[in-house]
Amino acid sequence: MLRLNLMLLLALMASAIFLVHSQYESRRLFTELDRAVSESRRLATENQRLEVEKRAQATPLRVEGLARDQLKMHSATPAITQYVQDNGRLETAP
Amino acid sequence: MTRSVLYTSSPLLASKTPLWRSKMIVAMLALGFVGLGARAAYVQVFGNDFFQRQGEVRFARTLELPANRGRILDRNGLILASSVPAASIWAIPEDVDKDDPEVAAKLRKLAPLLEMTPAALDAKLADEDKTFVWIKRQLDWDVGEQIKALGIKGIYQRKEYKRQYPEGEPSAHVVGFTNVEDHGQEGMELAFNKELAGKAGSRRVIKDRMGRVVEGVGEEVPPMDGQDIQLSIDSKIQYFAFQKLRDQVEKFKAKAGSVVVMDARTGELLALANYPSYVPDKRKNLTGEQLRNRAITDVFEPGSTMKPITIGIALETGKFKPETPVDTTPGRINVTGSTISDTHNYGLLTVAGVIQKSSNVGTTKISQSLTAQQMWEGFSAVGFGQKPQIAFPGAASGRLRPYKTWRPVEQATMSYGYGLSASLLQMTRSYTVFANDGRVIPATMLKRDEPPVGVPIFSERTANQVRQMLALAAGPGGTGQKAQTVGYSVGGKSGTARKQVGKNYAAGKYRAWFTGLAPVDKPRVIVAVMVDEPSAGSFYGGTVAAPVFSEVVQQSLRLMGVQPDMAVVPQIVANPVEESL
Repeated sequence: MLRLNLMLLLALMASAIFLVHSQYESRRLFTELDRAVSESRRLATENQRLEVEKRAQATPLRVEGLARDQLKMHSATPAITQYVQDNGRLETAP
Repeated sequence: MTRSVLYTSSPLLASKTPLWRSKMIVAMLALGFVGLGARAAYVQVFGNDFFQRQGEVRFARTLELPANRGRILDRNGLILASSVPAASIWAIPEDVDKDDPEVAAKLRKLAPLLEMTPAALDAKLADEDKTFVWIKRQLDWDVGEQIKALGIKGIYQRKEYKRQYPEGEPSAHVVGFTNVEDHGQEGMELAFNKELAGKAGSRRVIKDRMGRVVEGVGEEVPPMDGQDIQLSIDSKIQYFAFQKLRDQVEKFKAKAGSVVVMDARTGELLALANYPSYVPDKRKNLTGEQLRNRAITDVFEPGSTMKPITIGIALETGKFKPETPVDTTPGRINVTGSTISDTHNYGLLTVAGVIQKSSNVGTTKISQSLTAQQMWEGFSAVGFGQKPQIAFPGAASGRLRPYKTWRPVEQATMSYGYGLSASLLQMTRSYTVFANDGRVIPATMLKRDEPPVGVPIFSERTANQVRQMLALAAGPGGTGQKAQTVGYSVGGKSGTARKQVGKNYAAGKYRAWFTGLAPVDKPRVIVAVMVDEPSAGSFYGGTVAAPVFSEVVQQSLRLMGVQPDMAVVPQIVANPVEESL
């Protein structure tokens, strides 16, 4: 009888300690997850910010200015455009 | 003998304590335990709300999960407005130790980062009774990082979101802006505020002593991000239209101007620009002049650009054909005592010639064979006097009085665009009736997936006939020759409307209009231009507004990849490229 009680006591102790451990582990993992989630949110906003910045660098105003001044380009007119038909035939304006 | 308790066997030590006393002690102790038990049961089982709440207050926190405001995109998915994180700086003035030389030096470094003078910063921190002072809101994120690096005690920052408008000035009126609390104030930001705003979520967490989140409790309400709104605007066309308009307004020293570009098949607005405009990120010292979206909210007398509509109604009755002669001699006509005149005596014209030469007398004569009701019905059907079905704040409906109140002279003036008013948007939309073989289609600022079904107003033949007349008006011998483009046939009507000031028409104040479509046979775009009070050089629609029309049409059709329908002398030279080794 006493042996059984001792066994049960030991089992209870072990289970209690394991409970504490798993609770600790769960909180640790939760914190980690939380940190990862907020990091992902931070990166998402950073991504959005950079996208806007990229867009701001590619406004027609800037693109046109650079094309004209640095690359010495000028806008296409129908006179210097070759139009390709849907059937693949190439033709200049009528 | 009284019964007593024996505590000892020694008779010397025998106490005379009566038995009831010890019993009472036992009873009182038992009562005490019962009391404790009852209290414990109350605290643990019956009245535990209060204690649990108090406990939770000490470790559980509700965190708000902010929702991102949706973006505004153009028809090709390019960003017109988007939210980015921003740092808002606040302070507890009492905690800022200004007398410490080290802190004072840091504050001097802080001021330029905030774009403030040191004196202005000191003024903000002067009132030590306050426990919370905004220093500056919505600074750039990296500026916030620099301020964090300074590490001044008593200066804190909060993460907020701010709107950025990469396209800036050209699309300011369409996109609008939000206030510091992220609520839409103007334009699409206001019209679609609800859809864009999204809904913040929340979650309850348990925090430990260090403020770290250790556990989530209960259900998490995820934030609902705002929807993205895709406009029908093409930011490239928008930019070109704005640029051409601005140049023209400045060249003719005009007060203002607007241009609207519409896809003739779908009714989508490809561009809508006004000048003067503003930079949405820098809204200090903004005036109403800059803020007004004239093309949508302001109504004017359209003048001669109205004539094609009148002629369309007349052709539809079957009483007129394009070649029907109309005698405009001697360049004047008397309608119940009022004289309506042309700038020249055009003599004998055809109906088509009336449009080409923009003859008021001819239009009046044609309109006299129509009833007021016929004209009113035609004007209403193409949208005059009706509120445009467009999701945009402040869209004006213009003025078209009920036909029963029209006097004969008013009917005559309305036939050439005086005595009624319309916005530039309404004007543009009314021309869809010619572009779409007699069907008028609703305008929209949002991208449409398939073309809408229009309401038939005119027959296909009438629409085609008017288009040919518009082509004549924009061709040699017409009033709008400067509307011509390279490679594309255009049709359009110029207008020069005298401005009304108070009750009378002001001398020397005009509005120059041009409304037209291109290419004439299969129209793809409708463009309307209005320049307000050109004061240097010319004030005619044909010289001030038509060149803007021409350039905008040229660019729009090129960007849309429309093949020219007119002969162009090809200048393609195949240059042999020298191969390098």
